[in-house]
Amino acid sequence: MRMVFSPKGLITDIRYPGQGLIDIQNAGFTEVVLDGRLAIAEEEFRYVDRYRKFAKQENRAFLFDEPSGYKGRLEAFLSEVRKRNLKTKIAYAPCIKTEVRNPICNDPYRKLVQESVRLAVEQECESIIVKPVFIGVSLEKEWEVNKEFYLSLLPIVKGTNTRILLQNQYQNHEGHMVRGMMSDSLEAIKWVDELNQAAGENRYGFCLDIGACNLCGIDVYEFITSLGKKIDAVIFSDNDGHQEEALLPFSSISDGLSTTDWLSVIRGLREISYDGVAIIDIGTTIRAVSVMLRPAYMELARETMKFLEWQITIEKQLQKYKNIVLFGAGYMCMNYMESYGDKYHPLFTCDNNSSRWGEEFCGLTIHSPKDLLTIPDSTCIIICNTFFREIKEQIKQMGIEADIVYFDGEYSPKMQMKYRRF
Amino acid sequence: MLEIGVQTHNAVSDDNPNAGFKMISDAGFTCCDFSLNMYLKNTDLYEQRLNGFFDKSINELESFFSLHKKAAIDNGIRIHQMHMPYPNFVPDASDEINNYLLNEMAPKSMQISDFFGCRYIVVHAPKVKRFYGSEEAEWEKAEEFLSHILPMAKEMGITVCVENIYISAGAHIIEGPCGNPTKMAERIDRINDEYKAEVLGYCFDTGHANIVGLDFEKFLNILGKRVKVLHIHDNDGISDLHQMPFTFTKTRENNPSTDWNGFLRGLRAAGFDKVLSFETAPVLKSFPEELRPVALRTIADIGKYFAAKLDATSAEDT
Repeated sequence: MRMVFSPKGLITDIRYPGQGLIDIQNAGFTEVVLDGRLAIAEEEFRYVDRYRKFAKQENRAFLFDEPSGYKGRLEAFLSEVRKRNLKTKIAYAPCIKTEVRNPICNDPYRKLVQESVRLAVEQECESIIVKPVFIGVSLEKEWEVNKEFYLSLLPIVKGTNTRILLQNQYQNHEGHMVRGMMSDSLEAIKWVDELNQAAGENRYGFCLDIGACNLCGIDVYEFITSLGKKIDAVIFSDNDGHQEEALLPFSSISDGLSTTDWLSVIRGLREISYDGVAIIDIGTTIRAVSVMLRPAYMELARETMKFLEWQITIEKQLQKYKNIVLFGAGYMCMNYMESYGDKYHPLFTCDNNSSRWGEEFCGLTIHSPKDLLTIPDSTCIIICNTFFREIKEQIKQMGIEADIVYFDGEYSPKMQMKYRRF
Repeated sequence: MLEIGVQTHNAVSDDNPNAGFKMISDAGFTCCDFSLNMYLKNTDLYEQRLNGFFDKSINELESFFSLHKKAAIDNGIRIHQMHMPYPNFVPDASDEINNYLLNEMAPKSMQISDFFGCRYIVVHAPKVKRFYGSEEAEWEKAEEFLSHILPMAKEMGITVCVENIYISAGAHIIEGPCGNPTKMAERIDRINDEYKAEVLGYCFDTGHANIVGLDFEKFLNILGKRVKVLHIHDNDGISDLHQMPFTFTKTRENNPSTDWNGFLRGLRAAGFDKVLSFETAPVLKSFPEELRPVALRTIADIGKYFAAKLDATSAEDT
């Protein structure tokens, strides 16, 4: 997967993007979203008069009134991105806060989206995520209005390499988030297909927003597997299922469990062999923590994405190795064998319990860990045990240089499926 | 005008069913949703406990419920719909329990429904996606259960209705079985074609829909006439509270956070012509006993309000 960091929340003043970009780079990210929300915040569509006044005080254009100033507003960001050799292949068009009801916002929104698409083309972005027009649009008119809207962007991207990505939406009904446009996978597929048909080329694609799925209780496994290869980008973020937040994945907890169904996210993306763009948006989390702590959170964000990548692309990782050896002969080993044993059959497994050496377990012979010293080159050792770090240290102390990875049974395809009866 | 109904749980007791049905009737209801599920509770089943209620023969069960039937008739209440005990399959329970649910509870529930002259019985599809891997596999399990009762349904002229239910991720509630309207429409049509009868229908539960963020109007538009039964109740969008409509707000404007106008637009688009039935038993529990008749009357008034809105010729009214 190609990891991209969404800088909203980290860059709080678009005139001074340097420190935020340093944090991004130091965490190991090489690509950032060219995010239109840095130029004009979603709130500015709600409190127009207030932000108009701020703009006047700062002696700058208020983009709601003067959309042509869009590029200028992002110039410091773009300059700093170039200086730091970061990539901006994905853009995000400006968005309107979901609670905004005033249709007067629609015209400035359309113009700002056009400006953002122009900039994305100029910056040679491969895609830009564009949300639909929603204010005052009835259920019957959703497709009609937005077909016209999305196709109106076609002349700007025609003949370029920039594609327009649609995204699943939620709507704010009096403070309660419910499913919005394209939150039904069949509708999303229909919209993308019909736009491409009208464009006569594969110009439109889809960006899956995990946070939006979670806010309106969508069965995300079904959503992902139904969309399949239509998904061009995925935005990873967490929330409590009720508030519009962009939290670090796995950080929203209740009853000791994640409020986002990460098991279904991982299973779904694994099922469709997803290996595309992975955007991480932790805007709310990063904004809330002290600037002193942000580098640590950024590092955690990067590690979280690496973990998700490993889980989602596990088969691709396994394919890299000529041979596989397991460490552990318990439930997780059984889980590995049920999930991947046929396709990526290990040479053997090993265990520290000497009384089990020589025993057959799930079609594997249990060896002494000492036998790891004899494994051929290009063998990966997969630790099927929760004491991963301790075992890894044990193996390293034996002087073994092979790649060592961890099989996390919690997200394996067969986890919880032991009751399958047919 | 559509008829208004309410569930019997917390209103009708076994020791004096007449008093309960009278209270329902006095409040302004003409129909009820008989809460058969209270005779074998889900909380017990998840603990793998069977209380033996369905050990009785069908003659014994009919005898047990004869007073309820008479009380309903005497008070002018029609038992429009009934809730079968649930779950009907417990993934980690013994075969003994699951076979009991399949072979004793389910067919006897159908017979009780027929005994009451009730033509709609609501069932929950099993929540087994996490165990079986996909929604399709989960539905396959539901069909396995339905195949045991649908022949009876055809013979008795009963429509079994599957309901949108939910599952949890921590304390966050997300979409569960029967929550995809397009798939459900296809499945209901296919099964009814197979049986050459309307043996399967849909029960739209507003509260469950609200906590999993369904767009009521869009959902009902897709299911259309397949919706035979309603479970109308409200919540805060977080927990399944089964309160009366218009109870919850989330903003300073204090508009209802549940989309009741969308619900009415959806019902109108679906051509709904059955009973506006409320599943609001906890309201009766939360109000003091002296206020229960008034609370029930308020629920009935909300039902009449909905019915009047649905009668209005212009969609602009909603």
